[in-house]
Amino acid sequence: MAPQALLSHLHRADGSATYSEKGYTIIGSVNGPVEVQRRDELPEEAAIDVNVRPAAGIGSPNERHLETLIQATLRHVILVQNFPRTLIQVTLQVRSLPEEQSTGNGSAILKSSLMLLPHLLNTALLALLSASIPLSTTLTSTVVMILSSGKLLCSPSSADLVRAQSIQSVHVFAFSAQKSLLLAESQGEFDIDEWDEACELAEDICCKETGVAVDEMDVDGKPENLEGFLRDVVREKVEKEQMWKTAP
Amino acid sequence: MATKPTVAPSLLFPRDIFAALSPSPFLLAHLSPQTQDTPPIRPNGRTAAEFRKPTINTSSLTHCSGSAVVRLGDTAVVCGVRAEILLASDIPNPPASNPTIRSSNPSNTTTNGDEDDATEVSSLSLLVPNIELATGSAPTHLPGSPPSALAQSLTSRIRSLLLSTCLVRAHSLRITYCPPPVTSDPEIPDAPPEEEVKAYWTLYIDTMFISLDGNAFDAAWAAVVAALRDTRLPKAWWDEDLERILCSDVVGESRNLELNGLPVAATFAVFAPNGGLGIVQDDEEEEKAWVLSDPDAFEEGLCLEAVTVTVDCTGRNSRIRRIEKNGGGLIGRELMKSVARRAEERWKEWSAILEKGNT
Repeated sequence: MAPQALLSHLHRADGSATYSEKGYTIIGSVNGPVEVQRRDELPEEAAIDVNVRPAAGIGSPNERHLETLIQATLRHVILVQNFPRTLIQVTLQVRSLPEEQSTGNGSAILKSSLMLLPHLLNTALLALLSASIPLSTTLTSTVVMILSSGKLLCSPSSADLVRAQSIQSVHVFAFSAQKSLLLAESQGEFDIDEWDEACELAEDICCKETGVAVDEMDVDGKPENLEGFLRDVVREKVEKEQMWKTAP
Repeated sequence: MATKPTVAPSLLFPRDIFAALSPSPFLLAHLSPQTQDTPPIRPNGRTAAEFRKPTINTSSLTHCSGSAVVRLGDTAVVCGVRAEILLASDIPNPPASNPTIRSSNPSNTTTNGDEDDATEVSSLSLLVPNIELATGSAPTHLPGSPPSALAQSLTSRIRSLLLSTCLVRAHSLRITYCPPPVTSDPEIPDAPPEEEVKAYWTLYIDTMFISLDGNAFDAAWAAVVAALRDTRLPKAWWDEDLERILCSDVVGESRNLELNGLPVAATFAVFAPNGGLGIVQDDEEEEKAWVLSDPDAFEEGLCLEAVTVTVDCTGRNSRIRRIEKNGGGLIGRELMKSVARRAEERWKEWSAILEKGNT
């Protein structure tokens, strides 16, 4: 199923987005640029504060680690030099997880926080777009799995994971619009050629050149294009904002 | 009356003042020297691809099951492993897969077994790593505050690496009991006595940074691995009459932990003087960037992009166990290959030192 996005639905935040894909639903909100505490103030750029809240309970060291990763990635995407001595606050609330993550059974590799990371990154970017924070580029992120049979699975759904017998490694990639690799997190057991293959597949899915108006049907086995999805979302947003001009 | 200085005041700063005032040009000036015959060298005296030489001292803490002190330049880490017993009867929801079935057929050592191992270890939290930064370990670290984001993030990385590499096998943490066969009727061949898991060893892996000068993860991970290699667990058994676990105090009966491979982490930082945004000046054909091995605190402060590659070359061919890269877009697919090769070189250094023991 293709990802779904809902923009600017929280009225008290500067920008917000809900992103759902493959059983994950995440609400993101962005406030900024706002006043920053003296302690966190940076003289030449905006401070970025990321909060990740899990679906149940309070945050653990795993969420702190995710926050660190998202902060480092967003720092590269947002034009932080434009807003010195301010704060851009990003809050990401996990609303629902697919079954294999929320229930007790399921292998350890699937329960690791890596599976959540691409969805958090995509949500954060949509929320930033909704808040109209100036960005240097956009980013798209996805997860690729290598099975022990050598087969590559891209952004698998729960049904794929039940069918897949054993997973050799999990790779999370994030690409900028210029196709540079912004984030790579891999775990499991693999060699550099396998990693390269996974990276190539992820690049295809994240930022393939598709030319004009992509409205591809999600045919079975044909992965959707995240760059195209992002373009559609932005086009919709702009059309909505320009409605007053075009209205009869 | 003030005396007129005879020499005009020099505009040259001492080296450390230059470094403090404008750190980025300072590092850039070191890496791209003006003359041809001076090699590019980092302010700490190393070349770009040079790591710091580690030293290891094991078994220095007497009250731990295993311990190690690892030093990497001015980064010094102590790690202690403490083993406690977790009674199986105290586990409210035992793991879904029944370990008694698996322990009866020991041939199950495939990758599937690995995965079951990781599930058992993670769901019961048999490995509990924790990282603490000691007061005064780094100038930015304030004492008396709750664990910083850095400490929590490191703890999370160490834990996920311990689980994903299956470094400690679940079977070496089980305390099993084999009930004596029932001998009421010698005619009927009994089913072979089933082994029961009565308890587990839980390992608390506490790591403390005495001093932190960059590259926290490599040092912490090496300390954890060295301490686990040093860990000896006493012989423990279930006593049916007392209905409790007993431990032997004979040193000769204790056994070493069985570890799975030898993963070694290598961290690299990418220094891009133009901010790494890919903004290229008109007269330059390509943005300049340096990949620095094993960065120290000064370099870490200037490099936004960092890569950590964890490799294990114990088998016939080297395998990568983890790649972590964030903060920038300069390391792409091609550069990652050379980074992985440098990590493999580093593995040889670490493994020689870890095999040798105390240095």
